[in-house]
Amino acid sequence: MMRFQRVASISPLIIVATRVIAVVAALLVGGLGFAIAGFDVPMLAGNVVTSSFGTEFGLEDLGLLVSPLILTGLAAAVTLRIGLWNIGGEGQFYAGAIAATVVGLSIQSNDVVMLPLMLVAGFMGGAVWILIPALARAYLAIDEIITTLLLNFVAILLVNYLCTGPMRDPQQAVQSASDRVPYEMPELSGDLHWGIGVAVGMTLILAIVLAFTGWGYEVRVAGANRHAAHYAGMPVRRRLMQVMLLSGGIAGVAGMLEIVGTVHRLQGGISNNFGYLGVMVAVLAGGLPIGVLPAALLMGIILNGGIVLQAYGVSTYEVLALTGLVLLFIAVGEQLAYYRLVRLRPVAQ
Amino acid sequence: MIELLTGVFYAALLAGGVLALAAMGEVLTERVGVFNLGLEGLMALGGMTAIVTVAHYPSAPLGLLAGIAVGLAAGAVFSAAVVLSRANQTLCGLALTIAGTGLAAALGHSYAGQPAKATFEGVAIPVLSELPILGRAVFSQNVLIYVIWIVLPLALHFLLFQTRHGINMRSVGENPSAADAAGVAVTRIRFWYVVVGAGFAGAAGAYLTLAFVPSWSDGITGGRGWIAVALVIFAGFRPINAAAGAFLFGLITALGFVGQARNWPIPPAFLSMLPYLGTMAFMILPVLASRRAQRRLAAPAALGLAYYRDQR
Repeated sequence: MMRFQRVASISPLIIVATRVIAVVAALLVGGLGFAIAGFDVPMLAGNVVTSSFGTEFGLEDLGLLVSPLILTGLAAAVTLRIGLWNIGGEGQFYAGAIAATVVGLSIQSNDVVMLPLMLVAGFMGGAVWILIPALARAYLAIDEIITTLLLNFVAILLVNYLCTGPMRDPQQAVQSASDRVPYEMPELSGDLHWGIGVAVGMTLILAIVLAFTGWGYEVRVAGANRHAAHYAGMPVRRRLMQVMLLSGGIAGVAGMLEIVGTVHRLQGGISNNFGYLGVMVAVLAGGLPIGVLPAALLMGIILNGGIVLQAYGVSTYEVLALTGLVLLFIAVGEQLAYYRLVRLRPVAQ
Repeated sequence: MIELLTGVFYAALLAGGVLALAAMGEVLTERVGVFNLGLEGLMALGGMTAIVTVAHYPSAPLGLLAGIAVGLAAGAVFSAAVVLSRANQTLCGLALTIAGTGLAAALGHSYAGQPAKATFEGVAIPVLSELPILGRAVFSQNVLIYVIWIVLPLALHFLLFQTRHGINMRSVGENPSAADAAGVAVTRIRFWYVVVGAGFAGAAGAYLTLAFVPSWSDGITGGRGWIAVALVIFAGFRPINAAAGAFLFGLITALGFVGQARNWPIPPAFLSMLPYLGTMAFMILPVLASRRAQRRLAAPAALGLAYYRDQR
């Protein structure tokens, strides 16, 4: 007789394997959906792969998508380390973009001074945007999922207000946007700017800090068992605050880099759902900062694939739906991985 | 002035209905111990289905039924994931939100911007609708208004707090192992009430696109699903409170409409922020004001926790 039995712990290898299987399964189901809708799926898939990896342009475009995904993914991952969810990456991204644009438009100087200054402004903007949810979480134990998320809508409305009102550039007839920010991130190759270097650098630093410092240890213990951490005398509230502000700040830096590297103006829609996709990147990465790098790359490929597929009449919404499916499969797979098939021997009487 | 009051109440009942439906469904879901963060996606799916249905068969009740059916179906997928395979509820809820809004936007794209082909129209009840102030606000609305604001809150309150079945439901949310030991079918109750709650969210979407707006556009749900989730916490997991809270939010939304219509010197973007900021305030202020009230309205003890019979 065969039976499924739940086991207490599983090896990291199996966790990684289930994640890969979940992503593949979700892509297969999505592909099936596209096939039913009448698309030639193998042709589309081939096109996605060749246009992402076949040309230098494709790789540069991929890099432009991956850098904000790394940062928003890192922002969500660092809160997962302490057992919290930051779903407000979208709003913090915009807050960082607003702060960086305001600083960039109001101070006259050169790139060397301004880029670091705008980076700090972007970080502060994102951190300010998460301040109230962080205080409510740390001191009043109010669920941070909803409070961080609600501020996304506020940030989007604020950006639309600024771009159509006080910060509007009257010369832009088609889309309302702010004046052009005169400072630019240096380019790495073609369109790809050094923002990806900043993103990877921040990820590595954070991974090291979390793994090898006392601060990181306290964060990880508080994430594993908040009561145990408190009992051991660790300043849990202060760590919660610090991690949430850090998370908001990182998402804000993503917004700042999008301004100085890609868009150069504040306008609606620049976040491109990076905030929400960042949550997905963090989950794919299992909440590990270092895992954010491959996870962001995978998400970037899916997104880039979506852009390629637009030429064939596939909308970004379908890609969004597909990423949701990936998330669902990961969540289910994560649980099913704990079951193994055991053979029950009949007991001799 | 009186006309303004009537207008505000009318708009509040109409706008708050979306939140009331979704929040009452979520009360059921959370009372049996499951946290469904996917309301936003369910609402989008229900609203899109309703619009597409009435575009082909112009009948508003049929559109509503279709919206509910899709909510139930998507809810069954979610419920299978979180109740049967016990997957992480936060993750699955986010997945449902993202997949639902994405799918609804993709499938509803060619219907965006057109007015609904059939809607729930307001019906003026003779005599009553001529009463001052509240008469027109309450008694000239569409028929769903009475179901949402009177029938459902009372029925759900009765179900949860006055019946044996309601005790079973609540015990599953408070202490599933004790309920299981007492012979309550924990998994079955959880599974079906998560599905039913999702059906409410589908109905909320259909109400949004057939009675309130009434048309479809991308992102039309605009965070209402999340506000409904927050409302359930604010309402202390009680159906009547949830409806009352939804009315409060209807008032806030209506205030925004009035402000825009009367050209108040506040930019419309800030008026549109009111529901979101109001939700934040309603989550934070009661906790600041009184710790005791918070305990009385506490969440079901097993909310968000999967139940493993073998790890009792």
